[in-house]
Amino acid sequence: MEISKEQVRVLCEVQGLSVPEDELDDIATRMSTWLTALDQIEVELGEEMNRVDPIPPLFPADDRDL
Amino acid sequence: MSTSDLHYLTALEQAELIRTREISPVDLVAASLDRIERYDDTLRAWITVKPELALEEARKAEAEIASGTYRGPLHGLPYGVKDQMHAVGFPTTLGTKVLDEPETVAPEDAVCIARLKEAGAILIGKQNLHEFGKGGTIDFPFGQPRNPWNPDYTASSSSSGSGIAPAAGMCSFAIGQDTGGSVRGPASCNGIVGMRPTHGRISRRGCAMHAYTSDTLGPLARTVPDLAAVLEAICGHDPKDPLSAQRPVPDFSARLGEGVSGMRLAIVREMAWGDSTDPEVRAALQAAVETLERAGARIEEVSLPLAKWAVPLQLLSADADVASYFLKNYLRERYMRFDRGTRTRLAASSLIPASAYNRAMRARVLVRRQVLEAVGRYDALLSPTNVTPPKPIEATQERVDRKDELVTRLIERRICHYPFSLANVPALSVPMGFSRAGLPLALQIAGKPFDEATLLQIGQAYEAAARWSSLHPDLDRTLRLVA
Repeated sequence: MEISKEQVRVLCEVQGLSVPEDELDDIATRMSTWLTALDQIEVELGEEMNRVDPIPPLFPADDRDL
Repeated sequence: MSTSDLHYLTALEQAELIRTREISPVDLVAASLDRIERYDDTLRAWITVKPELALEEARKAEAEIASGTYRGPLHGLPYGVKDQMHAVGFPTTLGTKVLDEPETVAPEDAVCIARLKEAGAILIGKQNLHEFGKGGTIDFPFGQPRNPWNPDYTASSSSSGSGIAPAAGMCSFAIGQDTGGSVRGPASCNGIVGMRPTHGRISRRGCAMHAYTSDTLGPLARTVPDLAAVLEAICGHDPKDPLSAQRPVPDFSARLGEGVSGMRLAIVREMAWGDSTDPEVRAALQAAVETLERAGARIEEVSLPLAKWAVPLQLLSADADVASYFLKNYLRERYMRFDRGTRTRLAASSLIPASAYNRAMRARVLVRRQVLEAVGRYDALLSPTNVTPPKPIEATQERVDRKDELVTRLIERRICHYPFSLANVPALSVPMGFSRAGLPLALQIAGKPFDEATLLQIGQAYEAAARWSSLHPDLDRTLRLVA
């Protein structure tokens, strides 16, 4: 997923972030990178992802998932 | 023995000299302070050092031991912590200029530090780190951390000072913090031992960190037995940390020396022999595997095809957790006071949609499941800790120019770290030789949740056979190389 500099500018405004013009491209590249990777993950794992809950990967006190 | 010879003894050798009163904790603390005075202008391992406080604590330890009260192997040993943990009397700078001075006043001792105090260890200072422990810092407000084997090279991130200081003989051990490799990376690059324990083993209370699904403290030391002794002191349930494990703490030193005969170990194919694994690292890993085979281990291979996704998944989830904290605290009001590398990373993570975060957390379950299945089949998994030797400092500074390169760079840097962070299993980094340029390489040994003892057993067997941990940088020679 490609995020444009203009989209980042708007999203930053929504979040209340005042970001210098020369950093918007940097942020857009980072966001695009991760969201593109997620697209690829969806292609490989999407069906399986639908079948699990998004439980944080922690070991609870009762160790029930070991 | 001259006090000038103390600094590269193992912590347990130093401890024995203290126990038998051949040296005093004052001698040892003074030797550490001398090393810091002589070399830290270049290495920048430390942010705050309190010599008078450290010497006062050393004199108390000396008197206590002289009176017949010996608290154990950490009594009188000098150590430092990543400046992300609160210690009363020391500012908590978090390696940033974002905070105003009153905001750096420590409200309490971190539980980890309180436990080390109980064990008699002496905190001599707070150690340099990437800003807020995030990684990717470009300009370090407290000086550029440098590798003691060659100061033009990286000391890794983000517990940089905690890797440099024990490697440079400035303290007996250190405590770092590992979200995505921040203990193992500095251990590897500086040529010492470091462990990310199972999430929940060590209380997080009193530490400033915000990636609750992955953050864990971890010790760094010059040898595996040293590390086992430190781990034993700092592990244990804390009822005030909701993610603290209730598992009893074993004697982590009990099985050291038992060797690896009959153990089943597996090399992780994607980390060991992947396209981005440097030929020098491959060769060193092959030699390490042969060493373990000669010691009686059976070595197989295992595939973790989902490991490659661990890096983006961690950044889509744990980084978003961190960014959500900073968005409400400092990022909006003090954006320009952050280092550029930190603020652009946090800004990007703060824009991750909740729907993407949810999908990433689902995918994390699948990657974690694959890691848990693999560690369940073997005594431990093997890989290099880093797929490349340490690089020159300027080559490791995060540049965000081309997307394809960014993905490659980040996966290359963290492919061996993030899968085990994401699964929250323990992983140990042990020195594995040197590159042709003379920079340290390291073996990573990862295992089952709460099975740190097996990793230490394997690590000690390898360390004893390979003997890389007995080599230390000659700072009078290496620091002449600084650019």
